[in-house]
Amino acid sequence: MRGANYVIKRLVFAVLTVFIAVTINFALFRLAPGSAVTNLARVPHATPEIRLALKRQFGLDKSKWQQYVIYLQQLPRGNLGISFANSQPVSSNLRTALINTLPMVLLGTIFAIVLGTLTGVLAAWRRGTAAESATVTTALGFYSMPTHWLGLMLVILFAGVLPTGGMSNEFLINPPFWAHVKDLAEHIALPSLTLGLVLYGEYTLIVRSAMLETLGEDYVLTARAKGLKPWAILRRHALRNAMLPIATLVALSLGYIVAGAILIETVFSWPGIGRAVYDAVLQRDYPMLQGAFLLLTISVVFFNLVADLLYFKLDPRITE
Amino acid sequence: MSALLELDDLHVWFDLGDGGELHAVQGVSLALDAGQRLGLVGESGCGKTTTVLGLLGLLPPSASVSGRVLLNGENILAGGEETIRPHRWNDLAIVFQGAMNALNPVQTVSAQIVEALELHHSSSGRAARARVAELLEAVGIPRDRGDSFPHEFSGGMRQRAAIAMALACNPSVLVADEPTTALDVMVQAQILELLDALCRDFGLALLLVTHDLPVVAQLCDRAAVMYAGEIVEQGPVDALYHDPRHPYTRLLFAATPDLQGNGVPISIPGAPPRLDRPPQGCPFHPRCDRVFSPCPTKHPPLRRLDGEREAACHLNDVPAGVTR
Amino acid sequence: MSVALREPGAVIEQEPIRSRRGIVWQAIRRRPSATVGALVLLVIVLAAVFAPVLAPYGLHEQVGPVFGPPSWQHPLGLDDGGIDMVTLLMWGARISLIVGFAATLVSMVIGGFVGVAAGYFGGKVDTILMRITDYFLVIPDVPLMIVVAAIWGPSLFHIVIVIGILLWTSTARVIRAQVKSVRERVYVKRARALGAGHMRIVFRHVLPQVAPLLIANTVLTIAVAIFDETALSFLGLGDPSRISLGKVIENAFERAAISTGAWWAIVPPGALVAVIILSCSLIGGAIEDALNPRLRVAHLSARSFRLRPLVGRSPESV
Repeated sequence: MRGANYVIKRLVFAVLTVFIAVTINFALFRLAPGSAVTNLARVPHATPEIRLALKRQFGLDKSKWQQYVIYLQQLPRGNLGISFANSQPVSSNLRTALINTLPMVLLGTIFAIVLGTLTGVLAAWRRGTAAESATVTTALGFYSMPTHWLGLMLVILFAGVLPTGGMSNEFLINPPFWAHVKDLAEHIALPSLTLGLVLYGEYTLIVRSAMLETLGEDYVLTARAKGLKPWAILRRHALRNAMLPIATLVALSLGYIVAGAILIETVFSWPGIGRAVYDAVLQRDYPMLQGAFLLLTISVVFFNLVADLLYFKLDPRITE
Repeated sequence: MSALLELDDLHVWFDLGDGGELHAVQGVSLALDAGQRLGLVGESGCGKTTTVLGLLGLLPPSASVSGRVLLNGENILAGGEETIRPHRWNDLAIVFQGAMNALNPVQTVSAQIVEALELHHSSSGRAARARVAELLEAVGIPRDRGDSFPHEFSGGMRQRAAIAMALACNPSVLVADEPTTALDVMVQAQILELLDALCRDFGLALLLVTHDLPVVAQLCDRAAVMYAGEIVEQGPVDALYHDPRHPYTRLLFAATPDLQGNGVPISIPGAPPRLDRPPQGCPFHPRCDRVFSPCPTKHPPLRRLDGEREAACHLNDVPAGVTR
Repeated sequence: MSVALREPGAVIEQEPIRSRRGIVWQAIRRRPSATVGALVLLVIVLAAVFAPVLAPYGLHEQVGPVFGPPSWQHPLGLDDGGIDMVTLLMWGARISLIVGFAATLVSMVIGGFVGVAAGYFGGKVDTILMRITDYFLVIPDVPLMIVVAAIWGPSLFHIVIVIGILLWTSTARVIRAQVKSVRERVYVKRARALGAGHMRIVFRHVLPQVAPLLIANTVLTIAVAIFDETALSFLGLGDPSRISLGKVIENAFERAAISTGAWWAIVPPGALVAVIILSCSLIGGAIEDALNPRLRVAHLSARSFRLRPLVGRSPESV
């Protein structure tokens, strides 16, 4: 297989990074001073039996080193402890939160990618004109806005027109299917729009930069010399080659989006991963915090790996 | 009888960032008959590549062009991009420098040749692939290598592929811009032989741009010497070598190392003039070894000399013996 | 530019940046958006620095009702404590900028050190340092900042350290690349051959070359640092004893400014942050572009080359 070496190297790096992230996670939470953070068994409202079980499961009475080993052993089992806040397993809390976050983030990201690509291509195509500066400055402008502030602005703008909190209307009991869909759509609109607007600016710049690179390449001149029309050259040669850096940079940014969603979910009371982190901080729910942080770190590593593999797939020049 | 391809008083200007202009090509006129081979020679930066890009309409938006490009008598430059495009590749094809990234790295070589074929309706589908195999064979590339990517070829083979692609739509004129410059000496010889054979077999007219005189001597019947955006001498290659009528031509040939070891190659001291501030008089006079009174102030026009020769030098106006 | 007279064997020296001094100013002056950004930033910084003198009212002085609307005396209205918004903004900008600069300083020191060491010494040192950088890059910054702030407790000092620790990676990478290229230049090699010590070479030859890029990176890092501080404050992890722009937004949010319709408590502080970040981005971007030597000709563009009328016939034959 072409470049099997390359793929394996990236995989190994990813696994190593996850390992280090896990270790850092452990270090942060279990080595902090005071037992408020480190004592996973201090679940409020938990029965003594549960507390004891936790103590045993995580070896909280053993040495730090042994705790570390046990921690590593518990991870593959999905045992991340019990949440202080709702006394549920952290892993199931996280799962629910993740399921809530993904559609919103996906929608926002797709919007950002589409808008970013259109504006980026436009800016590169109309290089040196007012259209380009306007496009770039607008993109930078949105990119510069604090995520939560943009969310609040949208709330101010659309209050009354679109719901500004939560995932769905709790007062709708057993709604018919389409009403339910409409309700969900209305609720997801503003948070994903916020994400889209904050993100698209970065993509505009990435796409524009990649396009400017490729538009200056010699094979574009060859394509023009062959008699191809501008649109065909743009599509078949420029864009196709620009896809390389674009795809990898987009994939890389995905890892951080989930993290950036924290701010949006806080503004819109969206019950996702970001909100889970925020609530965990507020309530000093350390097991949840630890679990969420681990999940977010792994997602970044994952998307980095995806970016590497995507690059490999798209560029036939990589063979080592 | 009109020539196959004629450049009539071609000028190219480039906008400089701060409002100024670079007059890169200053009134170039060339003529190429069917099957003829013309070499366009000069130092780097003299405007030869710009001339050729101008003729094909491949200049960037910062350029302005004036003049006529006559293909079989028709001025294809008249409408700019729109009138030139239909003639690209069908009539005028170009091969770029070997070092350039002239082939798209993410497409196979045959895909890129097929693109040209399908664009000009020469063929498509299976017929196109057959034609690609034919072309690759003609340039010495094994048929099955067509499905490789450009980076999997050596420099010489990439250049061959580029030539194969240029021939795809049966053009009448092949323009080659420094086709061997970035290649190894051995490969250079092979590519030149290939060009020679192909032009002969397919009856192509060849416009060869290069700074390398031996290449011109090998392939071309006629040559035009460019300096600072102008043609300073034009004529049969032999005549240029044995009886140059412009000091630059003479020095160029003298600067070329002779394999037989006769004489010491000399370099031409100094540098070409800036093209954003047109100098007074003859552009070559600061470096000329035969400079005399009219040179610094009066610009020498390109004058037709006996038969097929032209030269732009005041020395030709003066009876021999006066300035020696 | 004319080519220097060539003798066989002469080494063409790449000109050191000494002749390019002022390239940062040039870059900013050349691009109108960057110039505007620089001026705006200057105004904001001055307003923040002289806030104690310039602010129209006291920072803790209640001059009207809670969420008082904008009026002639208070163009931006009042916040949830009846305090003048303009005053709040000026003092808030002070803290935000301080955090931004301080955190950037931390990251610059770490990143600069790592980058120079990796680029200059190369080999094993380089590999190890880059591996460390790679791992740091993977950690998502906002969550880590949240976690650390949550565990250690919010204070200005902690915030600055946390942000600084996360931002050094981009600086390190950029510096390393630049140092590597500078190291290979002729005059550096000559200095080494003459026996100059490493420190001397780094300070006299390498750093001046690296400076413009470092400046660009610093400006861009300041933007990110301010953004991060705003985010942390919003999530309640900012220093409770200091008012930064992020805190102003958070206060307004907490005290239900939106449902009260007091948009003036939320829009201006965020807008100010956005303007600061935008200005920094424009300036940093302009410097980066000016340093980037690749000026590519667009082989394809919306516009086409232009035609001009015929110049006139070339001289006839004799």
